[in-house]
Amino acid sequence: MRDFFHLSWMIMLKDLRVYFKHPTNIVVVLVPSIVFLLIQALGAAAVGRSPVALVNQDNGIEGQRIVQSIRDADVFRLSEVDATQAQTLYDQLRVVAIVTIPAGFTNRVEAHQPASVDVLVNNLNLDFTNDIRRAVPDAITRYYQAQGDASPIKVTMNETDLRAVDVELFQYAALPAIIMLLLIGGLITGGLSTAREFEDETIKELLLSPVPSAAIVVGKVLAGFITSFCLGAIILGGVTILGWVHPSGIYWLVGLLVVALTALFGAGLGVTIGASIRHVMPVIVVSLILTFYLFFLAGGVGVLAFEPTWLQQIAVFDPLTYGTHALQMALFYQSSDLLLRDGIVLALSALATLGIGSAAVRRVI
Amino acid sequence: MDSLSYSLRVIWACAKKDIRTALTERLFTIVGLFVPVTVLILMSLFAISGGKAPTAVVMLDQGPYAQAFYQSMDHAHSFILEQTSTTEAARQLSAGEIVAVVTIPADFDSGLRQNQPVSINVAINNLNTDFTNDIRRAIPLSITSFYASSFPNLVNITTHEVDAYPQDTDYIPYLAVSILVIALMIGGLLQSGPASAKEWESHTIKELLLSPASRWAITTGKMLGSILIGLGSAIVVVIVLIFIVGIQPAHWLELIGYTLLCLIIFNSIGVLFGTLIKQRMPVIALSMGTALPLFFISGAFGPISFQTPIIQWMAPLSPAYYLIVLFQHSFHNFYLNTLSMGANTLILIVFALVIIGLETLALNRSVLSH
Repeated sequence: MRDFFHLSWMIMLKDLRVYFKHPTNIVVVLVPSIVFLLIQALGAAAVGRSPVALVNQDNGIEGQRIVQSIRDADVFRLSEVDATQAQTLYDQLRVVAIVTIPAGFTNRVEAHQPASVDVLVNNLNLDFTNDIRRAVPDAITRYYQAQGDASPIKVTMNETDLRAVDVELFQYAALPAIIMLLLIGGLITGGLSTAREFEDETIKELLLSPVPSAAIVVGKVLAGFITSFCLGAIILGGVTILGWVHPSGIYWLVGLLVVALTALFGAGLGVTIGASIRHVMPVIVVSLILTFYLFFLAGGVGVLAFEPTWLQQIAVFDPLTYGTHALQMALFYQSSDLLLRDGIVLALSALATLGIGSAAVRRVI
Repeated sequence: MDSLSYSLRVIWACAKKDIRTALTERLFTIVGLFVPVTVLILMSLFAISGGKAPTAVVMLDQGPYAQAFYQSMDHAHSFILEQTSTTEAARQLSAGEIVAVVTIPADFDSGLRQNQPVSINVAINNLNTDFTNDIRRAIPLSITSFYASSFPNLVNITTHEVDAYPQDTDYIPYLAVSILVIALMIGGLLQSGPASAKEWESHTIKELLLSPASRWAITTGKMLGSILIGLGSAIVVVIVLIFIVGIQPAHWLELIGYTLLCLIIFNSIGVLFGTLIKQRMPVIALSMGTALPLFFISGAFGPISFQTPIIQWMAPLSPAYYLIVLFQHSFHNFYLNTLSMGANTLILIVFALVIIGLETLALNRSVLSH
């Protein structure tokens, strides 16, 4: 047993040396995830807050009030301009919509006649259009709410949030990106180190030596695990410093445990793919495509629970689903909800890849 | 004349050689050919929920006002509604299966008849603010539209919407076109980048550089080879978009022209990556790794002018931005920037020429270093 671990250790050290001889490996793993995180953060300010031109053609008090309600709603990036400027902004695609409070608005409201807020919307896709469709009535509702007991709208919303904190979209997207990084890291390191042994035919020496195939696999998996775990931990530290996640107490450890299990799974899968394909180039392409599949199917850029049922049923078989869930629960909500399930699935997936990887290497003999 | 004829022979010879080489690496080529379709399918998953939040409605009152309110929610473009019991709704919410539970109280109808305040309880699974804010805005929308239809005398302020286009374009038909560009981009980069880098890895570039062939002919030949290989993949992905996703192009000729332009641009960028990086592995990783970021900064979701200033600054640096503008016009007849289609095309042609120039320059520098 001692020999087994010693041999695994030596293989791991050898693979790590080879890994650090190729700094492009690190760039390959880090760049996509970091750029993705950055872009998400840069674009987040625009999510749900569309640019809108507001034109008030009414001189009365009700016109002023509805304008104030639109400002208070804070759901638009407003440009308060006259009709001509608004049309120019609209024609130049600088705004999604023109919201116009027409002349005579106050008179009509005071006379209890129908008074419309005119909305000209560039409905080229439902994402922006529905934001406008929701936001203008939101402002109208605020206008009535501001009237207090005199408001004719008696129906109000009493909101209860399931979680204590609201998480911004870019923060929410950070954790699946870290999981993606861990998987790419494991797949590339484990997959390349194994495939390279076959391409360079050094695998012959390893297999002809009295080293058990399991020790070879364990050594290679450990190398992949260490590199991707370290990268994952550094990125996790980075997003914590940026204030995107707020782990505390035991949930730091839980987060690191999930990172470790995902890295282990990625490395195991990488070795399996490397031993099965045995050529560096296809291993890279297959690894990256597989990462994309697993990332997207685990709800990497959305919320899995809100996707169609068939997609959720597919995601059940994707280990990243469990890694993402566990990490989100621990780091955002300080919750251990379904942690045992997530941990067991990740650990079993990692063990399964180790077993399959070992069999794939042994098959060569 | 002889020089042109010679250059054309060089172009064709380089293209043929690259096609033959690709055919010897069958697994890599086959996988590479399926990448664009894969990207199209996977990224479309992003839009599949259509931005609507699955929501449980607990109707403790079945009166006409309660029913009318339910109808208002149904027409709010925001919910996928399901009526259920209190217990089941609570279970679904805690299991993370739904975004919100809206409970219409037992005194909804009677309260409204007596002009008394009525509170609708909304429990939200506030996983992220994108979905949460949609709910926070969609309930007021439902309330206002409910009052406008049920109590038009009480609530006289309504929205009068005028749309720029006769019909709305749903998430998938819109986003799938943007995704098509990204898919073609990855396909093009993956075909040409590694093929170009391989010349450096296997040192065969020396023979090419020592030959009397002009640099631009070598570069163009490599591009042509990759384009011919990637053409099949591009046709497949366009067919999937038209016949499986069901998006009919408004301008067929534009679609064909822009697809070819897209292949030229991204295959030339791939050759440039290969020439500069000279190693296949980082070229492949870069090709695939740029997909997601470019998807987010190139105006995939709508006109770039609706985005944040920094994204507006970055997008025009990417050819994917202009291609998305052109493809959205060819499919939906949309205008996503203030430039004409001709101007967008011209910018892309300049992009292509500059890239080919850079490739030639990179090859010349390589000669100097040798």
